[in-house]
Amino acid sequence: MGSVKRKSVEESSDSAPPQKVQREDDSTQIINEELVGCVHDVSFPENYVPLAPSVHNKPPAKDFPFTLDSFQSEAIKCLDNGESVMVSAHTSAGKTVVASYAIAMSLKENQRVIYTSPIKALSNQKYRDFKEEFSDVGLMTGDVTIDPNASCLVMTTEILRSMQYKGSEIMREVAWIIFDEVHYMRDSERGVVWEESIVMAPKNSRFVFLSATVPNAKEFADWVAKVHQQPCHIVYTDYRPTPLQHYVFPAGGNGLYLVVDEKAKFHEDSFQKSLNALVPTNEGDKKRDNGKSQKGLVIGKLGEESDIFKLVKMIIQRQYDPVILFSFSKKECEALAMQMSKMDLNSDDEKDAVETIFTSVHHSGLLPILKEVIEILFQEGLIKCLFATETFSIGLNMPAKTVVFTNVRKFDGDKFRWLSSGEYIQMSGRAGRRGIDKRGICILMVDEKMEPAVAKSMLKGSADSLNSAFHLSYNMLLNQLRCEEGDPENLLRNSFFQFQADRAIPDLEKQIKSLEEERDSMVIEEEESLKNYYNLILQYKSLKKDIREIVFTPKYCLPFLLPNRAVCLDCTNDDEEPQSFGIEDQDTWGVIMKFNKVKSLSEDDDNRRPEDANYTVDVLTRCMVSKDGVGKKKVKAVPIKERGEPVVVTVPLSQIKSLSSAIMNIPKDLVPLEARENALKKVSELLSRHPDGIPLDPEVDMKIKSSSYKKTVRRLEALENLFEKHKIAKSPLITEKLKVLHMKEELTAKIKSLKKTVRSSTALAFKDELKARKRVLRRLGYITSDNVVELKGKVACEISSAEELTLTELMFSGIFKDAKVEELVSLLSCFVWRERLPDAAKPREELDLLFIQLQDTARRVAELQLDCKVEIDVESFVQSFRPDIMEAVHAWAKGSKFYEVMEIARVFEGSLIRAIRRMEEVLQQLIVAAKSIGETQLEAKLEEAVSKIKRDIVFAASLYL
Amino acid sequence: MVMRKLQLPLSQTQKVRFERAIERLQSLSSTANSDASVIVTDSIPVNHDDAFLKGHGTSEVDGELLATVCGVVERVDKLVYVRTLRARYKPEVGDIVVGRVIEVAQKRWRVELNFTQDGVLMLSSMNMPDGIQRRRTSVDELNMRNIFVEHDVVCAEVRNFQHDGSLQLQARSQKYGKLEKGQLLKVDPYLVKRSKHHFHYVENLGIDLIIGCNGFIWVGEHVEVRDPMAIDDQKDEEMISSSSTVKEQSHIPVETRQTVCRVGNAIRVLSNLGFTVTLEVIIETVNLSNSKNIDIHDMLGSEFHVVVAENEAERRRTKRKK
Repeated sequence: MGSVKRKSVEESSDSAPPQKVQREDDSTQIINEELVGCVHDVSFPENYVPLAPSVHNKPPAKDFPFTLDSFQSEAIKCLDNGESVMVSAHTSAGKTVVASYAIAMSLKENQRVIYTSPIKALSNQKYRDFKEEFSDVGLMTGDVTIDPNASCLVMTTEILRSMQYKGSEIMREVAWIIFDEVHYMRDSERGVVWEESIVMAPKNSRFVFLSATVPNAKEFADWVAKVHQQPCHIVYTDYRPTPLQHYVFPAGGNGLYLVVDEKAKFHEDSFQKSLNALVPTNEGDKKRDNGKSQKGLVIGKLGEESDIFKLVKMIIQRQYDPVILFSFSKKECEALAMQMSKMDLNSDDEKDAVETIFTSVHHSGLLPILKEVIEILFQEGLIKCLFATETFSIGLNMPAKTVVFTNVRKFDGDKFRWLSSGEYIQMSGRAGRRGIDKRGICILMVDEKMEPAVAKSMLKGSADSLNSAFHLSYNMLLNQLRCEEGDPENLLRNSFFQFQADRAIPDLEKQIKSLEEERDSMVIEEEESLKNYYNLILQYKSLKKDIREIVFTPKYCLPFLLPNRAVCLDCTNDDEEPQSFGIEDQDTWGVIMKFNKVKSLSEDDDNRRPEDANYTVDVLTRCMVSKDGVGKKKVKAVPIKERGEPVVVTVPLSQIKSLSSAIMNIPKDLVPLEARENALKKVSELLSRHPDGIPLDPEVDMKIKSSSYKKTVRRLEALENLFEKHKIAKSPLITEKLKVLHMKEELTAKIKSLKKTVRSSTALAFKDELKARKRVLRRLGYITSDNVVELKGKVACEISSAEELTLTELMFSGIFKDAKVEELVSLLSCFVWRERLPDAAKPREELDLLFIQLQDTARRVAELQLDCKVEIDVESFVQSFRPDIMEAVHAWAKGSKFYEVMEIARVFEGSLIRAIRRMEEVLQQLIVAAKSIGETQLEAKLEEAVSKIKRDIVFAASLYL
Repeated sequence: MVMRKLQLPLSQTQKVRFERAIERLQSLSSTANSDASVIVTDSIPVNHDDAFLKGHGTSEVDGELLATVCGVVERVDKLVYVRTLRARYKPEVGDIVVGRVIEVAQKRWRVELNFTQDGVLMLSSMNMPDGIQRRRTSVDELNMRNIFVEHDVVCAEVRNFQHDGSLQLQARSQKYGKLEKGQLLKVDPYLVKRSKHHFHYVENLGIDLIIGCNGFIWVGEHVEVRDPMAIDDQKDEEMISSSSTVKEQSHIPVETRQTVCRVGNAIRVLSNLGFTVTLEVIIETVNLSNSKNIDIHDMLGSEFHVVVAENEAERRRTKRKK
């Protein structure tokens, strides 16, 4: 993209378009090509004698109309020497220059070159760019294939991998393989594809890896050098062509606060000021728990201008546009954009070009074609204000002057966590247009107090490491087993995962040694007998726990959880000291108000019996009420004699230690403080008369007649006797000594677990899992006992876009033969749809019947895996097949219009389209599979299915092609 | 169990011994599938109420499932297909095959594989002798005869069936390609079982054994697979220019020639007897001939056939016991 970028330099200086003249003030032309620092390093394989760099008289394969940055020319030097290189730099730095040089070089030498990217859309865009420049370019994604015989092939990494397994002739002619955005390797689902294709790449080919800044680029290069026995260069630079300024915009505030300046200095005072300007949103309104931050919306409703509106207005006034506003959910993205609809940001001349678009949204839920229109308009500078999700931050160079983060927290599946510095770096990389802006601007909208350290690590932290996300799949195993040279163990041995594990060993051993030294330095008198005593205590505690658990099974205790009964609560401080070493625990007393059944999140809760459900109990007791930094109230029960307020708290059943037989006489109205204070006073009185609180006897009062209870009680009594006899129990300083011993025991446990890690990493990673998975394949008849792939295995080999085992089993069960074409398509939709829709209607009966068959098959497959010791959660595996879009897909296959389908399924258009396209991929794979088993009727049926879904807007070609 | 192709003069005692061995073998063979064997147009019983998939060798005519080839009916879940016996080779993707070049055509070689059609090995599916990854040029096309000519024996992997039904081969790595200094043997394809490895290097004999899935078996002197990466460019060029002359001159020691013949004859005997040809059985047969001091040219005589049959019967018996 370098060339395109530089073009804009010329534009702004020579024939600057009108809108750029307007802000001449801060877009002074950047002509000075200051030297850009970069680090160059080489990894050699073992026993490799580096060749003296040959003097090249060859003219460069490609001339660039601008001076190269030093990291670019370093990388190109490596290419000229015919050696692999890994370029690690920010998105905007101009890595594409290296890629296009490699392409030019290969074309000149009459060699093939493959360019892979993680995303189809990105492949399309790159195809267009390269096609313009080189012409002999082809494209292969799951959706389209254009000119597959061209010398330069742009493809997704998945396609590359399948070519390697199938043994395409292209693999014999490819001299250079370019992996763009190779840091995608850490993606938990797809990352493994990169590892496979790098390991399986032809021996004599060379690589160009383009990656975002990663701190362990050297490690990656070492791995490549080792696996391919060739030197691999690393060119690393932190350089940003346009420096960034980071601002904070406090919620409810009015201005921006410069927090990190372009020299990367963190201004703590300014940060504090910004936090002081923060107007905390009303605690009650904020429902962070249910997954939607209502920022902006809430205030907007009150008739004032929302924060986001104020901010965008400010940005426009200060001419900080174009601006990209990142938010972390599609819904939020749209909601925010809706508020902007009142504003018109285009000047009059631009209105000629575009009528209404000034604010826009960009996320994966949009119609693909609409998304592309938006991208193009944005590149043309006609969109001033783009609301986007994270997906906009990867790929093609689409910079803006300003980037806004509408949130500092991101939902990552189970909780809202702070944005990681790596994510921050990636997204902020969109700020600042090279050659147009003097500096890029990042604005962080903060709506809660943040520790300066947190902010600092987010804004200035290092990039995320490139770590392996390797995992096994059945498709991978079968493909490896199928070819003569393939060997899954070999793949594992060469994986980046294994490489990193091997690397970590010396470090772990050092850790073990220092821990062992520390442990040995702890000297305790009479250790043997103390240890004996320590073990007794542990036993005693676990027995106590057992008894408590029996007594407090809801079956026994529910009838006794009456209001106004005095209870003893456990109030050990669990933050500071996890274990106290006396026989006595800290406890407190209180009065039961009522008990509640906890509603668990899973749906099938109704089927459970009341005994099994979880309960909580509301108890009036003495509590310490404190406020922590963020302003949240923290309530903690304290012993009744200590200071504190009488408060009703909700505690889980497990926190109750014992029930008293005493029922207190307490007024109903507990709103006044005095009433509560009096109630607790009564409890204290009770305790002063009966220090043990007259507990309910489990056997006599609660009528617990389980034999295990009796047994445990007897063992407990025996143990108590031992305590008294133990000689060390009387020794002074016993608690201190026990504490020391406890620390020592913990160290020992830690050493043990570290040793285990070392042992497992010296062995082949995934070895056990590999064994277990092979067992599954044998049991299902996919491979023989000599690991020869059988008929069913060959079918599963072909299926890489859906769960291969379940789909193969379904196919062999004949279900596809029976079902109508539309039903078949609809059934396949369950394989590609992963989202759970809250208000999805149950599919009609025929479809539901098919779905039930699918679930049965899936359950059988999952249970068999569990049986073979593959770690799998059967239920969640079965639940991962979603019937939610079955109806919609059925309608689509029947020939309904797209808008009609959208009425059936309340999902984002883009998501549905992606699902249908994915289904087409699966269908194509099934066609190959049907052909290989010789079932021609099924093959024809599948072909028909493809023709039924492959039409209209769903398969509209990309605008980039 | 009959001796095909070959009529051996057996003495009276040999005949008795041979018949006894055959009897024992027959009693050991599994009878599980014997009733499932069909000939062409035989009806295959299926439950028509239930969905079923019909695979290779079957066709549905008037609501009845008929066999289109002779063989054994196999069932995998709901899939019904007929596994052929003694038919021509039926390729499957990923099979290792040995074949003979019969034509040098445009950008491709035609290879005889004992399949209903010839296999096609594209120029682009071969690694270039110089080991450089590049596109093939017209010069390469003109030089195709430097790589293979007619009657050369080659080894390749079945890549796929093209849309027009032609069979594409490929040579994945350096160990595929031309086979020299050895013997090509042809056995019935059903005698070769698909296994994890078809390339074998028999170290103590110093020979390579390639058991092609198509029933073509190569026995030859062991060749180190040369990794072009490890060799300097300059040396590489020398090697290529001189390789053709070097190869012709290079002398194969008599012992190796004899070993190749011995292994070859062992395979012939096994094929005559209709025994499955695996590395294990071949080596055992070779050892047997050595331990009984049987000369190479005597291996094809009646006595050794009888010995091998007896030995096989014994082997299967002990194997079953386990």
